[in-house]
Amino acid sequence: MSDLATPTVSAPPAARRLPWGQMLSQLQAVVRLELRKNFFGRRGIGIWLLGLSPVLIPLIRFIKIGSLQNEPAATATEFFSFLYQIYALRVALFLTCVAVFGNMVRREVLDRTLHYYFLTPVRREVLVVAKYLTGVIVTVPLFVLSTLAAFFLSYLPHQGVQEFLFHGPGLGHLGSYLLVTVLACIGYGGVFLLFGSLFRSPAIPALAVMAWEGIHFLLPPLLKKISVIHYLQSLCPVPMSEGPFAILADAPSPWLSIPGLILLTAVLVAVSAWRIRGMEVSYEEE
Amino acid sequence: MSVQGAGDNRIVYEDVSKFYGEVLGVNRVTLSVPPGITGLVGPNGSGKTTLMNLTAGLLRPTRGAISVLGQTPDHPEEMFRLVGYATQYDAFPPGLTGFQFIESFLRVHGYGRVEAEELTWKAIERVNLVEAAGRKVAGYSKGMRQRIKLAQAIAHRPSVLILDEPLNGLDPMARAEVIALFRELSAGGLHVLVSSHILHEVDLISDQVVLIHGGYVVAEGEIGGVRDEMEEQHPAQVLIRCDQPSLLASRVFLHDHVVEARLLEDGGGLLVRTRDADRFYLLLNEVVIDAGLTVETVRPTDADVNAVYEYLISNGGKS
Repeated sequence: MSDLATPTVSAPPAARRLPWGQMLSQLQAVVRLELRKNFFGRRGIGIWLLGLSPVLIPLIRFIKIGSLQNEPAATATEFFSFLYQIYALRVALFLTCVAVFGNMVRREVLDRTLHYYFLTPVRREVLVVAKYLTGVIVTVPLFVLSTLAAFFLSYLPHQGVQEFLFHGPGLGHLGSYLLVTVLACIGYGGVFLLFGSLFRSPAIPALAVMAWEGIHFLLPPLLKKISVIHYLQSLCPVPMSEGPFAILADAPSPWLSIPGLILLTAVLVAVSAWRIRGMEVSYEEE
Repeated sequence: MSVQGAGDNRIVYEDVSKFYGEVLGVNRVTLSVPPGITGLVGPNGSGKTTLMNLTAGLLRPTRGAISVLGQTPDHPEEMFRLVGYATQYDAFPPGLTGFQFIESFLRVHGYGRVEAEELTWKAIERVNLVEAAGRKVAGYSKGMRQRIKLAQAIAHRPSVLILDEPLNGLDPMARAEVIALFRELSAGGLHVLVSSHILHEVDLISDQVVLIHGGYVVAEGEIGGVRDEMEEQHPAQVLIRCDQPSLLASRVFLHDHVVEARLLEDGGGLLVRTRDADRFYLLLNEVVIDAGLTVETVRPTDADVNAVYEYLISNGGKS
């Protein structure tokens, strides 16, 4: 007979540790579990494919056209800027963040599994932060890799690539794109994590945000300031033409954009944690 | 089960109500549950799951307060080390094996890898699922899923075990094993709160019962005690099979606590209704010795949870 039959009421070692140490080990355990069940199985396939989709366009271009030795690297700069800002940032990264962060809480409710977390001695704030970090751990490497691959595939067929990269602004451009990628994952992650804790169907408000970000170029300067893309776009190294109807506004300084986005994200995650702290589990209402 | 004497060794409900909008979940529940197996009995929709979810902090009371061994869900770090809950939800995190399912949540509890693995194996052994531990839970049968849920609920050695319809889907052999497990856990000093809409199951398992109907607790306590309190309105029925039922009927009917003595159609016994079962059994002993009767069977026919529940419901909940 197992000694479970005569249980002892001793707390696990974690209870005797300092709270920070305990919370850190719980946070790691939640991250591990989230990665295992949501991203390293069949469920994760769509996310990986969407995340890597920005690579497809320059890859097809490279395979179809092959060498573009007569075209200067500046052509690739224009091509990649367009690809990155129109597709990678506004579509692929945006939708991936909706799928990853928007479903962090929502999918657990639909799967009727959220109670397993709520019945463990983990503070709900820690749970929310762990889920957010899991999303960051998934999206940041995915889009950093995707941006790197798309960048090099865009420049590869052109002449003077080495010169552009190592003696010109190439690596600086790449660094800026990667910074925007990381900030976009962090910022959109915070927005969609909150949507997932506020709305039954986070996809609907996410589409509204997508539309808002899409018409950003038409918005007056004051309204531009309440969109994530306004700050991200200002950090992109190559400005993109927004057409004749665009309303111009001063680009915010990087010293405002970067800490501003991080601060906004911290506020969004805190609000999500507050929402989840008071949340009840009643799947029947879903 | 009174609120007086409530302490850190009880589950205490103080005037607890839960409404879902305008729909009543449970209303004005005041209880103090001691260690042992407590059966929560009522038909589907009576409020059993609501009361369990309130106990485990998955729901917050609209009014009133609950404490579990002195802890409240506002402090999950303390409370959920004490509580294990196998819910009625037949759902599991995707892609995990039985072992991973239990081990992962033990890690979330704060256990280290080695200790979590050790506790996981012990819990899996306890519910006899060792051979299936490496298989995905999604491929388990209903009975296996019930058992892995139970293993997950007991793996961290809780002091309070809450089980919502735990015998659903189990075959007779597994039922017997699981009931034996409840008894062992209860003998170790645990509070086991178990719900079922199958009354004879609860009768079989429980040290005490809470009868719930339409969101109200209609009776609570040790089942015999609850039945005794109802004797005035619902006299106890006792079936006696003996060789001279007419003689027995004539003798017992002389006493004022015997309301009815009816001969069975086959002539082999009688059914007695009495307002004082204890006095009746004493009387029966006297008559048997005095008249030299040969008694084959003496059996109360309405002292089980089923009968008590029927009486209470037909009475509008007024015992």
